[in-house]
Amino acid sequence: MSAIVSGAEPLPPAGETAGAPQGERLTHVDTLDAVNTLVSGPLLDRRRWRRWWIAMIVASLLTILFFGSMIYLFYEGIGIFGNNSIVVWGYPIANYVWWIGIGNAGTLISSMLLLTHQHWRAAINRLAEAMTLMAVAIAGLMPIMHMGRPLYFYWLAPYPNTMALWPQWRSALIWDFWAILSYLLFSIVFWYTGLIPDLATLRDRAITPGKRIFYGALALGWRNSARHWHIYQTYYRTMAALATPLVCSVHSIVGLDFAASLMPGWQETIFPPYFVVGAMYSGFGIVVVLCAAARWGLDLESLITIRHFELMAKVMLMAGTVMFLSYATEWFSAWYSGRGVDRRFLTFEFTGAYAPLYWIMIFCNCIVVQAFWFRTVRRSLTAIVIISILINIGMWLERILIVWNTLSHHYIASMWRLFYPTLWDWLILFGSLGFFAFLYLLFARFFPVVSIHEVRELVHREAIR
Amino acid sequence: MNDTAASHAAPASRIEISRRTALKLFTGGIAASLAGCSPPAEKNMPYVDMPEGLVPGEPQYYATALPLGGYGRGVIVKAVDGRPIKVSGNPRHPASLGSTDVFAEAALVELYDPERSRDIRGTQPINGWTDFLGELQQWSGKAKRGEAPLHLVTSTVASPTLLGQIAALKQQYPGMRWFAYDPLGDDESARSLIPRLDRASVIVSLGADPLGSGPMQIMASRAFINGRMPESPGGMSRLYAIESTWTLTGANADHRLALPPDKIDALAMEIVGRLEGHPGSPLSLEKGARHFVDQMIADLQGAGAGGLLLPGPMLREETVQAVLQSGKRRGAPLDRAAALPAQLRPEAFAAFEEALHSRKVQNLLLLDCNPAFDAAPDAKFANALKGVPFAVHAGLYDNETADLCRWQLPLSHPLEAWSDLTSADGTVAIVQPLIRPLYDTRSQHEILGFYAGQTAPSGYDAVRQTWNREPQDKGFEDWWRDALVKGVVSGRSPQFTLSAGNAEISPPASSQSPSDASAADGSFVALIQPDPTIYDGRFTNNAWLQECPKPLSKGTWTNAVSLAPEDAAALGASDGDVLAVSSSEGKIEGPLRIDKGQARGVVGLTLGYGRTDAGAIGNGLGYNPRLLSPGFQNVVPGVHVKKTDRRAPIPSTQMHFSLEGDLRKLLPEVAPGGSLPESGPKPSLFGPPQPRDPYSWAMVIDAAACTGCNACVVACQVENNVAVVGPDEVANGRAMHWLRIDSYNIGTAEEPRHGFEPVPCMQCEKAPCEPVCPVEASVHDTEGLNVQVYNRCVGTRFCQSNCPYKVRRFNWFAYNSGQEYKDLGEDPMPARNNPDVTVRARGVMEKCTYCVQRISGARRDAEKADRPIADGELKTACQEACPTRAITFGNLQDKGSKVNARRADPRHFTLLEELGTRPRTTYLARVRNANPKLAGGSA
Amino acid sequence: MAQVFKPRANTIALAILVSVPVIVVLVFIVNYQLHASPYATLMGLYVDQPIPFSHKHHVGDVGLDCRYCHTSVENAAYASLPPTHTCMTCHSQLFTNVAMLAPVRQSLATGTPIAWNRVYKLPDYVYFDHSVHVKNGIGCSTCHGDMSKQPLTVKEKPLTMGWCLKCHRDPGPHLRPASEVFDPHVPDPHNDPQKAVALLRHYVIETGNMTDCSTCHR
Repeated sequence: MSAIVSGAEPLPPAGETAGAPQGERLTHVDTLDAVNTLVSGPLLDRRRWRRWWIAMIVASLLTILFFGSMIYLFYEGIGIFGNNSIVVWGYPIANYVWWIGIGNAGTLISSMLLLTHQHWRAAINRLAEAMTLMAVAIAGLMPIMHMGRPLYFYWLAPYPNTMALWPQWRSALIWDFWAILSYLLFSIVFWYTGLIPDLATLRDRAITPGKRIFYGALALGWRNSARHWHIYQTYYRTMAALATPLVCSVHSIVGLDFAASLMPGWQETIFPPYFVVGAMYSGFGIVVVLCAAARWGLDLESLITIRHFELMAKVMLMAGTVMFLSYATEWFSAWYSGRGVDRRFLTFEFTGAYAPLYWIMIFCNCIVVQAFWFRTVRRSLTAIVIISILINIGMWLERILIVWNTLSHHYIASMWRLFYPTLWDWLILFGSLGFFAFLYLLFARFFPVVSIHEVRELVHREAIR
Repeated sequence: MNDTAASHAAPASRIEISRRTALKLFTGGIAASLAGCSPPAEKNMPYVDMPEGLVPGEPQYYATALPLGGYGRGVIVKAVDGRPIKVSGNPRHPASLGSTDVFAEAALVELYDPERSRDIRGTQPINGWTDFLGELQQWSGKAKRGEAPLHLVTSTVASPTLLGQIAALKQQYPGMRWFAYDPLGDDESARSLIPRLDRASVIVSLGADPLGSGPMQIMASRAFINGRMPESPGGMSRLYAIESTWTLTGANADHRLALPPDKIDALAMEIVGRLEGHPGSPLSLEKGARHFVDQMIADLQGAGAGGLLLPGPMLREETVQAVLQSGKRRGAPLDRAAALPAQLRPEAFAAFEEALHSRKVQNLLLLDCNPAFDAAPDAKFANALKGVPFAVHAGLYDNETADLCRWQLPLSHPLEAWSDLTSADGTVAIVQPLIRPLYDTRSQHEILGFYAGQTAPSGYDAVRQTWNREPQDKGFEDWWRDALVKGVVSGRSPQFTLSAGNAEISPPASSQSPSDASAADGSFVALIQPDPTIYDGRFTNNAWLQECPKPLSKGTWTNAVSLAPEDAAALGASDGDVLAVSSSEGKIEGPLRIDKGQARGVVGLTLGYGRTDAGAIGNGLGYNPRLLSPGFQNVVPGVHVKKTDRRAPIPSTQMHFSLEGDLRKLLPEVAPGGSLPESGPKPSLFGPPQPRDPYSWAMVIDAAACTGCNACVVACQVENNVAVVGPDEVANGRAMHWLRIDSYNIGTAEEPRHGFEPVPCMQCEKAPCEPVCPVEASVHDTEGLNVQVYNRCVGTRFCQSNCPYKVRRFNWFAYNSGQEYKDLGEDPMPARNNPDVTVRARGVMEKCTYCVQRISGARRDAEKADRPIADGELKTACQEACPTRAITFGNLQDKGSKVNARRADPRHFTLLEELGTRPRTTYLARVRNANPKLAGGSA
Repeated sequence: MAQVFKPRANTIALAILVSVPVIVVLVFIVNYQLHASPYATLMGLYVDQPIPFSHKHHVGDVGLDCRYCHTSVENAAYASLPPTHTCMTCHSQLFTNVAMLAPVRQSLATGTPIAWNRVYKLPDYVYFDHSVHVKNGIGCSTCHGDMSKQPLTVKEKPLTMGWCLKCHRDPGPHLRPASEVFDPHVPDPHNDPQKAVALLRHYVIETGNMTDCSTCHR
């Protein structure tokens, strides 16, 4: 027995004195072993995966659709999208910004909450980090699908070539290229680092030699020695410190894609900050959904408790309110600028062809979330999940409207035109969702969706209190 | 000369092949991705015997002429390696003045059209021309014996050689009858006028459209603008337009009044009466209109001989004559177009129909005309024609008429054949071939030669004989060469020729009487006019002209049914709803276009569409208004309009036409001599850019001189291999024209007016498109050009999204390199491509380059000679084409350059100057010479 | 419980971790070397021709001037290959029935052109003009090497964009007096700063625009 539980011994050093949140407990387990069993149990026992298979089949179908349409896109040319010579940007860009936003939240949660000693993060940070990886990876595909000549995407990279040419460093797209790349690489390392002790646990609890080798190789010989833990903690916290600025930079730079232009509705200094907040906003939305799913799918009710959801709801309430403020600032500065073009643009937003969508967006992003002022709503899982989904719909609308409004209604009246999406636009959007689910299910199948060692730490802390 | 022309065919095919393969490579993008790994083996094929004077890859220029509505316009055609690739105007030719119109520019597409009639069609099995000649022999025999007299049907004939041949045939064949008609209608007397607009100070157009499409368009437009320039002697002329539907003339008028045809007719009589000093009872008009008319007549009387009253085709013949008489008396500057000599006049088409239906016609030759479509598109005619035993149709296309004939003879394109053409003002030009006939075709002269009994007729000889009447004439060869070089004939006159000036035109029996055409009984008056880009249907299969936006509505690929807003509202119809228009004769259906400023009770229809056998491009587009009108009647009273439940939105390149609020500053307007507030470039932190190069190219476009004729748009398309995308893609908003002409509704609700503004790339000095491109495909060069490097572009489209002027165009599909519309990719069509301009691949952004290939050419020539490029030496395609010289292009660093002078003009302004993009393309404001006594006169 | 891994597993793991970045760097380097190598540029490769035409013989031994056959090199973009008639000016007298020249005679008889295989090929989107180079002191051998030493025509230079740019950035060292332009033996580049400056002035060469994209691409 002790051999099996060895992953839990000795108890990891308790963190700094900043205690757990007052009031009710975050977890409903008492022994550390129970944590191990709860989390690693499913991974090592194949009899508990029916739900998973059903979900997997659906996800796979959507994934096939996603790549199918991508192949057709490359074969037939991007004319299959709804773009025209005036509204030259469309769904891929909106999807890109949206996915990046989602990808933002994961590392944000784990790093910022870690640095601010929000111990409740323990139950959700693994989910969030995994989400980051997959979201950013999918986001990375979108610009390639957006390009007219995708086979030359590598020209954005500075590689030595016989043409003696380099990328154009003044372009926000190049900054983007680097931001995404570094963020993706960093997130992988950060996520993997957090995973190592758990992989060791799994290695030790694995019954079949195959599993033992699989997890063992990935665990890189982690032995739970005090020295290991010491190095680990320092290293992990340093990473977290690095992560935080990176998280902000990524989506600020995505904001610059628009802000570094001179088009009405884009050329705004507020874009970088409010893109970051927006990212956190939609990111938490998705985390909520994933937590709910994992909780239900893997019977983790006792680890991911309603208390977690309530805390996340509070964060979203804050973010939603900031979003509202940002919109208001936009409207004000557009009016206050006194420029005809900006005021016309504002009127177009509220009364133009896309106005209904704009109102829906405001409803989803600013109004709905206000329900979180009420404790009952914060503590109702269904309510939180529904609101989170609405928020993400709203955030997607925000992104597509940023593109549509500005490109449809600009300086030269003769060239005003609207965008009408085609089947392929929708396939790419929903296909990408399916692909995300596909990746996520794979992750949930082979890795602990909750950080075992950190929850152990949390349980221990709550136990000794 | 003949040899040179002939020997071109060989290299033509050679280049074509090598280009095709090259294009294919380029398309896949493999050209770059394989960057050499294994470049496909490419062959170099030198001549066996190089034609004299030909340098491979270097352009050659030939002067010739192209017909429109029968009349000729002198042109100079550029050929590279024997392929004609660009048509431009011939400065020596008065009907061209160095400029072109859309039809001349697009003539190349006709030449290379894969659907041209290639082989003679008739008996089965076919032995080509021999079968035909055999049969022809029997029938000429009969004809000579008077058993089956020859019937010849042509459209307007303006070729002295052709006239001579016809005259000769009349000698040869007793009882031969010649019929000719103009598809536009039988109202020549009003149509064939040459208004000397530069000599008029007050112009009143009564439904006339001198600035609209037609053989005189270039002449008239240039004259009009010459009389409009503020600096022009005798001040600036004032144009009143009274018309039923919008025409280019109305769009360029200072004052415009919309009236139905019958009212215009009555008004014409009233005006004439008052000018002649015996006013009758004034026509009843509502108050505003009455005031307008009175002031206008006062203005007209004040102008004396400078007052020009211009009758339109929709007037009754009597009215037209009356107007012309009074004009003559007052010495108004108005001439008649060249007309056929009295001794050689064709019969009217009606006479032919009569003969045909009375089964008198057995031996029939239809020469380059398509009556089954444009004259009598009815079953009765079709059956009668089918019944003609020896019906021969000679034409470029195997068209509707050809289908009904026993024989279809493929005709050579004007760029493939020898001929001569008289222009509307009587100038004659020799037509010389640029390329050997692509297929086994014959020219009109050669076909008439067959009828004259020659076994191997040569157009070349026929034309030379016409001009060389005394056999041993020493001076002829020099004269001939000179005529060919100049492109204009002088000092000699053939036996039969058209003469301009005051030639008498016999008033045809005018069946129409618009007076009974009142909308009282809820019925409408249909007004049929030539289409601004398709004309009479001769160009229906021409993709460039189909995609060229109609000047005012910006619609493409179909003709519309236009109504006044009130009438449309009464029908409960909106733009794009399909309307059914029916008359006693027939019924048509077309999409509605609501035209603010069209006369109530009038349905505007245009010719040229509704063809069933035009070819893949032109088939099944639009409707044929001739179905409504017997004969050539252009004003059809008593038509009924019903709204169907179908919709067919018109593919349009522009969606928003009005300029509310401060948008108006996009197109400022001043009074004569007026000026705009001074506005130099704003101070910049970086200071003005320091040119590292002796040239800084810039363009100034005079909005006051732009009549919206579209010549520049098509010229740009030809010069720069700009793709045609087809109706669906235009509807998707993906038209590729680099140069667009924005058309705006300006003026008031009472008096709506139109304004045109050509918009090429602004070539900004601080270009917003440049810093955003991640791969430096959009970069600045040292001459100030904002260049687009196609082979570097990866298609992020950041440049266009950040372009305030939206002048960039994106290849959503391989429009020109593999995914062409319909048959546009088939040989020999790709041979039209300009070899000096890259054919853009899919997924690449493109835009106006100021014709950088021409700049580079001029620059290389200058560098070879170690001299600078002189001002005016270098012209962009749009500048070259513009009939009104609205576009100026030149070097800013040459202080004396014309472009600098224009930039100093008080009317000078910059589009969206407040953005600080410092465009190199700038504008001169519109000028409106309003009558102070009229509404809006204060403008 | 038995150990899953032997001690050397540590080394392997370490090696894998280290090799990842190394491989990435290698990919860049190898890719560049590959594209710069004759494998991609075909530099220094002979191409078989329907007739084994020897520049070595005609230029080196006989001493024909380039312009005798490539007539338009001074006033057109294309140097142009000689029409069959040009060959026959001599070969109607010399080697009149050598088997090697059968294709030439046949071409003349049948009127079908001789199909030479391209050696110097630029992509379609590159607009190179011989005349402006030749007229401004760039010798034939600068790009084509010493033709008088080539029995079969060989691609002497890589013709990559980088290679073009090297000269366009600093043309001076490659310029020659007009008298030497068609001399195949002149060494290139000459390393004589004074000469470079003098020639730049003599040919009135504006180096300002020589690296503009629009100079070669349109």
